[in-house]
Amino acid sequence: MALKQELPTDVVNTPIRKRVTDLDHAGGDTGAMQVFASLKDGNVVLDGPVGCHVMPAVAVINYTDSVPYLQNVTCSELSENEVTIAGTLPVLKEKVARANVPGRQVFIVSTPVSELIGAAWTTTDEDVKGSPLFFNAQSLDDDEWMARDRSLLFLWQNRDHFVRPESAGPVPACARPSVNIVGPTYGCFNSYSDLAEIKRIVAGIGADINVVYPFEASSYDTSRLSDARATIVMYQEFGKSLAREVGLPTFYAPFGLEDTTTFVTDLGAALGLEAEAAAFVASEKKTTLAAWHDIWRSTHSDFFANSPIAIVAPPSYKDGLERYLGDELGLPISYSAYRTGPQSAPSEDVRAALCDASPSPMLIFGSINERMIIAQEKLPSRFYQASFPGAVVRRATGTPYVGYAGAVWLLQIVCEILFDTLFANLPTSYAPPQKALKPTAEIMRDGQDAAADGGKGQNSVIAWTDDAKALSEKTVKRVPFFVRVSVTKKLRAEAEKLARERGGPVDVAIVEEITAAYRPR
Amino acid sequence: MSKQASSMCPAFGAIRNLLRMEDAMPIVISSGDGCMYGHTFVAHFYVANRPIFSPGVSSQMWAKGSVFDELKAMVIEMAEKHQPSLIPICSLCVSDTVGLPFELLPKQIGNTEIVYVPLPAYSVHTHAKAKDIVVDSLVWRLPSQRKARAGVNLIGEVFPSDPIKIDEVLRRIGSHVNTHVPGPRWADYVAMVDGSLNAPLHPFYSESVKRMKMKQGLPFVEGAPVGISGTYSWIKSVGEALKLNPAVVEAVASEERDKVEAAIADYPLNGLTFMVAGYEGHEFLLVRLLIEAGAKVPYLSTSVNTNPLAREEEAWLRERGCTVLYGANFDNEIGALEDHPYDCVIGTTPLCAHAKELGIPSIYYTNAMATRSLMFAEGASDVLSLVMSTYRSKARYDKIARFFSDDGVPKRTYTSWAPTIDITEHLLANAAVAPHEAAVPIAATER
Repeated sequence: MALKQELPTDVVNTPIRKRVTDLDHAGGDTGAMQVFASLKDGNVVLDGPVGCHVMPAVAVINYTDSVPYLQNVTCSELSENEVTIAGTLPVLKEKVARANVPGRQVFIVSTPVSELIGAAWTTTDEDVKGSPLFFNAQSLDDDEWMARDRSLLFLWQNRDHFVRPESAGPVPACARPSVNIVGPTYGCFNSYSDLAEIKRIVAGIGADINVVYPFEASSYDTSRLSDARATIVMYQEFGKSLAREVGLPTFYAPFGLEDTTTFVTDLGAALGLEAEAAAFVASEKKTTLAAWHDIWRSTHSDFFANSPIAIVAPPSYKDGLERYLGDELGLPISYSAYRTGPQSAPSEDVRAALCDASPSPMLIFGSINERMIIAQEKLPSRFYQASFPGAVVRRATGTPYVGYAGAVWLLQIVCEILFDTLFANLPTSYAPPQKALKPTAEIMRDGQDAAADGGKGQNSVIAWTDDAKALSEKTVKRVPFFVRVSVTKKLRAEAEKLARERGGPVDVAIVEEITAAYRPR
Repeated sequence: MSKQASSMCPAFGAIRNLLRMEDAMPIVISSGDGCMYGHTFVAHFYVANRPIFSPGVSSQMWAKGSVFDELKAMVIEMAEKHQPSLIPICSLCVSDTVGLPFELLPKQIGNTEIVYVPLPAYSVHTHAKAKDIVVDSLVWRLPSQRKARAGVNLIGEVFPSDPIKIDEVLRRIGSHVNTHVPGPRWADYVAMVDGSLNAPLHPFYSESVKRMKMKQGLPFVEGAPVGISGTYSWIKSVGEALKLNPAVVEAVASEERDKVEAAIADYPLNGLTFMVAGYEGHEFLLVRLLIEAGAKVPYLSTSVNTNPLAREEEAWLRERGCTVLYGANFDNEIGALEDHPYDCVIGTTPLCAHAKELGIPSIYYTNAMATRSLMFAEGASDVLSLVMSTYRSKARYDKIARFFSDDGVPKRTYTSWAPTIDITEHLLANAAVAPHEAAVPIAATER
């Protein structure tokens, strides 16, 4: 795993297909807005109709970031008049003038409609520092990640444009070797916890944070990015272009024990803090990772090899979870797919793959799209969210997927879901025990003629037709291995009970009746 | 200050109703990934566990005209493979601006109807308007001739048990509910031509009922059976429109009115001041109920635009000291928090966020009200008990507001470039933000 000074690769758009179902990424205008609005002094004016503002900055943001609405975002409120006759400039100018207050840097972001009608921002004051900047989001073509990457690069290219107000005080200087953290922005899954964990690690090896960009920065902090000794890019989906231009050694947020140890060691080396990094790893083993070690040494881990999972997520999480849960913990990966970038799998492929997977994954990490597939296809898999879209609250900072704390948290999740699956398949039911209908003596008396019945009486074994057996085997194979014994017992008991009541063998109809919830397609 | 009403993408009002139809397969022609992502996100949260289809769109595809070819292929394939009753084609901003030749799509394939639903959000403006467009587009497809007609068509999303209650009351005066839209099946819309009266229960279905009057000759009555006087006058209007026995109608209307009055008496809101803001379009009905229960509602804002169907309702509210603001947006609403010392806010997400910041008990209109019945006595009790319990948690809101303020006096953080107002002093003066002791629930509520 060559993490050290890895050459940032280019960010590549998710291909636009001829048909789209259940999209898993937003477009360029959303991505750009999420970058600029993250800046403490950023005011964003979207050049579009109200929907292009309220949908991402009020409705969706409430379920991705649990923010009631983004107060520093507005739009030009295009109406028919602007779209068909007047063009967007007059209304846009008015909105920009309102947004352009002292101490705020205005960013104008195009939307699909404004791009379609060829609207752009023209102004005579573009050389004036602090004047509004126009960003072409290329929303008709670019996805949110590409737009985030381009927006961050755009900020760097305009770093001399931004004005540091006097009220901001002197430029802070870091006493110790310092690092930049690039990403997250608004709308990045689980980023609050991931960021907290990376900051904890940086502090743990005795380094300072130079700038958390853009999430904890102002526009005028952009030029300070070059003051650090290294850059950590949180997610490989965006920020690489900025990191490359800033030109410092670049690292990506790590997943799992091995990755994290390499990350800490290499980061320490880049900052001249080798000894501190080694000491941090040593102390983590006794603190944060003590829990990991205990779980690992428990029987919990015995089930890992037979608990297949599937991962459908953008590249950072998909690769990271696969490396950690697959390679390191040894959970079989029955299916994994990217949901962003050139290799992204369309929804129909994911659906087909998850339905065909045998055994069905015990657990599927994904977005609401996968959750819907589980429900619609009646898969026996459990779901855990690892990606947007899908409404979720992830503001407590104790649920990281990255770093040592992330390794512990993910291990805990997997074990809990394992237990939950077990519980759901427990063979005894909550119903009270069946009533004894006859005294033992009577049972024995009735059984006297069992031998003479030729296998047709109450003691007989119920026969299964060949079809029924085949279907039952097929069904049971789709059940996670972990609970296959319980399910087989349950299926047999229920099927034979029905057959006995109906006075025939167990046939396909009976098996189908019982296994409706597990029926293969 | 915004000029237009603030609303989640207006087109979503239409998409949600179409996605809830069991025998429809809507195609949403997205304006780009951002647009599609937003609609998918909220649809899968609020509406339905089902896929949303769109042809792919990119600048190149628009330029080449391949979007329409793909759309047409999709329509034919979906109709042949799934044979739904209806394939609504929702055309959003970009496709409607580009102007796809929708008239070249087949109108029927087998039993499947293909209906174009124009939803350019920049001219639709509100959720409510988009819902009107859906009903209108679907019903406009139906032929105009029908001889025998009976019963009342209910138009507007209501609580699931409302149509049953309405039907029960209508049967007592000699009529019944014929159909209810937006409904889950195409047949619910088709049935509208069998009715003899349209009853838009929300005022924003103005275009649908106007055009149905024109094409189908169907009359309509305004309002809904909500509140004391509202319940009485709605039953009376239906009776008159259908020329039913006046004595029977009067008796039933009075009886229902008395039941509502008795229900409301259980929840006296005397002395409390409410602010109501929403984008659903049935805000009027809630305010009527609050006022009848004794509350002051000096401010009502709705994202719906002025509307002939709401005129009577609006006059009723104005007479009782309520300022009605149409086409309202977040800035208007948040600014208006300053005008009165509010005890409780039922509003949009941003408005509630600011009200909570000041320690004012608040609930989100859409989530709280769309899940409840407002009609007749049961509806009145249901809604008023929710409002009452919200108000009574004042102490909790107050405590949290103080915790998050620097000096124990809640202040608003609404300081973006929109009007920067510090209304704390004003609110303190008006006692909307109580001094340090916890708020005491009004005595009347201690039953």
